[in-house]
Amino acid sequence: MSALLPVGTTLAFQGVSGPVTVVRLLGGGGQGQVYEAVYANEPVALKWYFPSCIAKDIGLEQRLLECIRATSPNQSFLWPMALLSLPCDLASRLSIPAGSFGYMMALRPADYVGVHEHVGGHLQISLRHVLRACFFLAEAFHELHLKGLCYKDISLGNLFLQPRSGRILICDNDNVDVDGRDLGCAVGTPGFMAPEVLLGRIKPGARSDQFSLAVLIFRLLTRHDPLKGKLELQIRCLDEPARRRLYGEDPVFIFDLNDERNRPDPIDHAAALLTWPIYPAHLQALFQQTLGVGMNDPSRRAYTGQWKTGLARTLDQRRLCPHCGQEVFRALDQVSLCWACGGLLNPAPRFLTARGSVAAAADNELHPHHFDPLASERIDIPLAIVEAHPVKEAVLGLKNLSSETWTAELENGESSPVAPGQRCNLGLLVRLHTSLGSVELIR
Amino acid sequence: MSFPDVQLSKRPLHFIYLCDCSGSMQANGKMQALNQAIRQSLPGMAEVARQNPEAKVLVRAVSFAHQARWHVAEPTPVDQLQSSWVDLQAEGLTAMGEALRLVAAALRTPPMEQRALPPVLVLISDGAPTDDFEQGLRTLMREPWAQKAVRLAIAVGHDADLETLQQFIGAEPPLAAMPPAAGLAAGGDRLPGAPLPRSGRRPLQASNATSLAQYIQWASTAVVGAASMPVSQVGSPSRTEANVPLPDLPPTVIGQVVW
Repeated sequence: MSALLPVGTTLAFQGVSGPVTVVRLLGGGGQGQVYEAVYANEPVALKWYFPSCIAKDIGLEQRLLECIRATSPNQSFLWPMALLSLPCDLASRLSIPAGSFGYMMALRPADYVGVHEHVGGHLQISLRHVLRACFFLAEAFHELHLKGLCYKDISLGNLFLQPRSGRILICDNDNVDVDGRDLGCAVGTPGFMAPEVLLGRIKPGARSDQFSLAVLIFRLLTRHDPLKGKLELQIRCLDEPARRRLYGEDPVFIFDLNDERNRPDPIDHAAALLTWPIYPAHLQALFQQTLGVGMNDPSRRAYTGQWKTGLARTLDQRRLCPHCGQEVFRALDQVSLCWACGGLLNPAPRFLTARGSVAAAADNELHPHHFDPLASERIDIPLAIVEAHPVKEAVLGLKNLSSETWTAELENGESSPVAPGQRCNLGLLVRLHTSLGSVELIR
Repeated sequence: MSFPDVQLSKRPLHFIYLCDCSGSMQANGKMQALNQAIRQSLPGMAEVARQNPEAKVLVRAVSFAHQARWHVAEPTPVDQLQSSWVDLQAEGLTAMGEALRLVAAALRTPPMEQRALPPVLVLISDGAPTDDFEQGLRTLMREPWAQKAVRLAIAVGHDADLETLQQFIGAEPPLAAMPPAAGLAAGGDRLPGAPLPRSGRRPLQASNATSLAQYIQWASTAVVGAASMPVSQVGSPSRTEANVPLPDLPPTVIGQVVW
């Protein structure tokens, strides 16, 4: 691929106060090319647009300037930091057309992979981290919408994931626009676009973002497309007119409560049938709502806040099957069966918190919202984590991740302080007192 | 303790090169330039295939000279082809019609699957056909999968028969429908002396090894991407004329600057 910008040179771009060294071409897409660069001794990324893209998308520069001014909603976005252009004489010396521009953003860390690696089955990742990624995605959309912005063109290609933590990065934020205004060119990607947008009836906005979010979460949780069931098998050549019918004219959720026309095929759509039962009924209900009645009625789609609540609650229900060791998410106070081995799951030890029960399983965490019923859910600043004893794995302890000393009420009636960094043996614990509130351990 | 071993269901995407191996391809290193271009494009194609988990990209190649024959007969996953591509050799006439008949047979069901993505056919030639091209084209276009295929053509050098290549692609797009480009006046009329706007719906003219490599790369990456995965839609999402919207050709240094 030939580079638009001269690699290995240092250029005085307009839009930043110092020189930028173009290090190497990282890749290119339909809109332009992305480079690794250095600015003020820091590694950065630089996206430079093709002139044809600029010519087609009149509002691009204005959208970018507004994004830069608005600043990133949260740390899950690779957000534009500065708009870059070249002075006329430098541009013509470099054979770069007048009017060309790009933007600077943070460089994506090397350990983030495209989510296509996950849905393509090339990634080893825990269910816990996939659910965390979905939470971070819902949270990112939530923060974006709170700023009065909407994404408009989310798809698998814009999303990156850090497998060891579940953290995500959303890229290509040049389609972000003020909700309700239409200063954009992109309308979305079939399969992720709401049907009313694909059919050209309504311009994309926050309501259609809610649809896209549901599709994306479904794809991450199942590695399957929520609209590909029996109806997809009737399509011989899956080209654009066929996609328009499948995703726009007659879209049916494969697990729609009432419409069974599009159920997954046991052979071609095995991923959906295997993974759907993993998730608890309250989470499945959000899909059935958003992609069921919400398919053609945007006002019925679940909001980002509902996804955050549902996903956080699913993480709270996580424990390990005592027979096969797989992660399971059944209700904690009932007898149920493991989705993987079919083994019996008895009611499990759990913490009773202000926000419902949290299974006392290794790697599960207690967050501020568990202590404060009014706090919005977040999973990035845990106050406590359940850990297995380094030698005796069956012994679990709750590690204090906060900065305050807790008081543990033990079975023998005594109390014991648990300093920051220390662990309290769950085998002896009855109740834990913190300045934010208390949790009781039920066995 | 990890995500169950499942993956997104895939449909095959058949990518077929139809390569002119006539004697004239020996001149000016054209044959070697084509071999190099194809070899160099394979890693990029493999990467696009990986980024489109719903597609299973399978590559074949037909060579045509005195006769047409399969150069890569088995539909081959891209990453396997990287280590097994054998160079095409040039000698003989230009049996382009026969090449189209061979591809027609491959696009019949069977062996073509019941369900697939639109195939991508890339015809590369430096001259004119020496056999019955029209009959070959008719045979090909009788096949439903050929009608649904993205058909591209690359003219190597200055002596290629552009009309024939355009027939393979299909009807020329009207000038007014072209994206804004150098050489068009406001009403879409072509300014005198200006080059035809570049679009995949016309034969791509590769006058040197570099542009040949660029077109092969575009066909094997951007076009494969467009055929395998729904592409981000720009403007009003109304129907396009083609069943696979072709991505823009990459800007070349020459294309951007007025000489």
